[in-house]
Amino acid sequence: MTNSKTGGPFLQIQGIRQEFGDIVAVHDVSLDVERGEFLTFLGPSGSGKSTTLYILAGFQQPARGDILLDGRTILDRPSHKRNIGMVFQRYTLFPNMTVGENIAFPLKVRRRPKAEIDARVREMLRLVRLEGFEDRRIAKMSGGQQQRVALARALAYDPPVLLMDEPLSALDKKLREEIQYEIRRIHQQTGVTILYVTHDQEEALRLSDRIAVFSQGRIDQVGTGTELYSNPSTRFVAEFIGDSDVLPTEILAAHGAHADIRVGEAVFRGVPVHGTPKLGAATLLLRPERVHLAREGGAGVPATVTDITFLGNNFHVAAETPRGEALSIRLPFGHEAASGLARGAAISLSFDPTSAHVFC
Amino acid sequence: MLLNFDGLGAWKWPLVGFTVLVALFLLLPIVFIVALSFGSSQWLIFPPPSWTTKWYAQLFADPRWIEAALTSLRIGLVVTVCSVLLGLLASFGLVRGRFRGVETLRGLFLTPMILPVIVFAVALYAFSLKLGLNGTFIGFVIAHTIIALPFAIIAITGALEGFDKSIEDAAVLCGATPLEAKIRVTLPAISHGLFAAAIFSFLMSWDEVVLAIFMSSPTLQTLPVKIWTTLRQDLTPVVAAASTLLVALTLALMILAAMLRKGKAQ
Repeated sequence: MTNSKTGGPFLQIQGIRQEFGDIVAVHDVSLDVERGEFLTFLGPSGSGKSTTLYILAGFQQPARGDILLDGRTILDRPSHKRNIGMVFQRYTLFPNMTVGENIAFPLKVRRRPKAEIDARVREMLRLVRLEGFEDRRIAKMSGGQQQRVALARALAYDPPVLLMDEPLSALDKKLREEIQYEIRRIHQQTGVTILYVTHDQEEALRLSDRIAVFSQGRIDQVGTGTELYSNPSTRFVAEFIGDSDVLPTEILAAHGAHADIRVGEAVFRGVPVHGTPKLGAATLLLRPERVHLAREGGAGVPATVTDITFLGNNFHVAAETPRGEALSIRLPFGHEAASGLARGAAISLSFDPTSAHVFC
Repeated sequence: MLLNFDGLGAWKWPLVGFTVLVALFLLLPIVFIVALSFGSSQWLIFPPPSWTTKWYAQLFADPRWIEAALTSLRIGLVVTVCSVLLGLLASFGLVRGRFRGVETLRGLFLTPMILPVIVFAVALYAFSLKLGLNGTFIGFVIAHTIIALPFAIIAITGALEGFDKSIEDAAVLCGATPLEAKIRVTLPAISHGLFAAAIFSFLMSWDEVVLAIFMSSPTLQTLPVKIWTTLRQDLTPVVAAASTLLVALTLALMILAAMLRKGKAQ
């Protein structure tokens, strides 16, 4: 893998801002993407992830900011001259053409010789495992097949960047997982840089090298899936990636990025704090599998078991604090305390302070 | 379905009877005309005493009838081209445009459908006298294009609204210029709408008589105008023969339009 000519990052998004009337859809988004990286924009609808992608595609001009590819701005070029590939959320194959003609289209508009086009179409069909479908009409293809053809069409002209805008959201769960696997394989096989938009955290975790979490037009955090899960920088990221338990807490003392906190009567020391720590009310966030039952007599948060579900490799315990906050806990199978639990049982919950997060 | 035909019970049969009566009321005059065009009586006696094709022979032997039919055809074809082209451009503006007053503009484009034809004819007559367009081919084309355009716009906007613009965007990202994407992807995808627009535009011109009477001159007459002026001079079954041919072409085009719609639905 060669570095870009300038030595800087392959794709640079610099302070992009987009407004629609009074609404700011994208708020000074900046991001560096490495060549060959699979980066996902993850966030709820209206968080600005798709708008950022449309700006990259050239369907919208940003109010401010710049986008550099290999050190050169792309904003001065219209969509059809950007040489960017894109797979859309909706089915966008050309209905008047066959599968083969669809894949050949970007090469035909580039006036490539016929022999080269034919060879490339066959190569692309092999890549998406649709050999022999060349003369098929689009109306005769299933949704999953159509998106695979769309992928082949978008890669046919070897674009430096491939944009994917929730390409699997119209498909059912089983098919979605199958094509996620295909996308991963194709990414590894071609080495193309992919920017992928989704609101599905599982999809983001399964596919991406890195994830950029969007919230209200901003990127909250960029990192690998494990980084985002184990060290979320905002409460939004923490709640969006993985399951979490949220409890009100009180900061007793702050030292650097850690704090001593009180939850109910129990005190925990050295919990990582995000934001500017100040004494008083804050929010505690726990991962369900990092919570355990406190030893008899040990410090813990009191709760009552409301439900227990056995899920094969672990128990899912639903509990409620005296103040009515619902909690979810996962105890591994074989945990000596779990087998003795029953609905209505009074328990005391504890956790390793370093695995928890406090947000101010 | 608001009304379930099978659930109507005994009410079904009066409804069927009424529908048949309406259909007969609409169709009988045409059947009548066709029968008369093949009848031997010069005085249009019904039922005809015997059958003949001599009125058709007379019709085709008379160069004035042929000339009128060709004039109608020529005007109709040029009107079709103008109406579809203008309708296409207008539809892109109306469907894709995001400007103030786009709905008002849509209404304005459809006014020739609502305005009484005679009012429009008088206005156009006065206007074209000033420009010296009366009795000219161009004048005819302009008049008929104005009344055909609403039908073209309805057919093409309908097709364009059903077309996902993302498909055109995909073509642009593939490297096609916006114009190239429209010609190679969007137009083929909405071709059924363009065909429907063409057929309706042609028919609007082909059997239009009110505007044509105002715009015609002794040397430039369309088929409906020729039928009209002939009827005023004398009553001859040749008129019935001409009318039958007019109806036949109209019917053929309507069937074609219906087939296109059915093909699209499948």
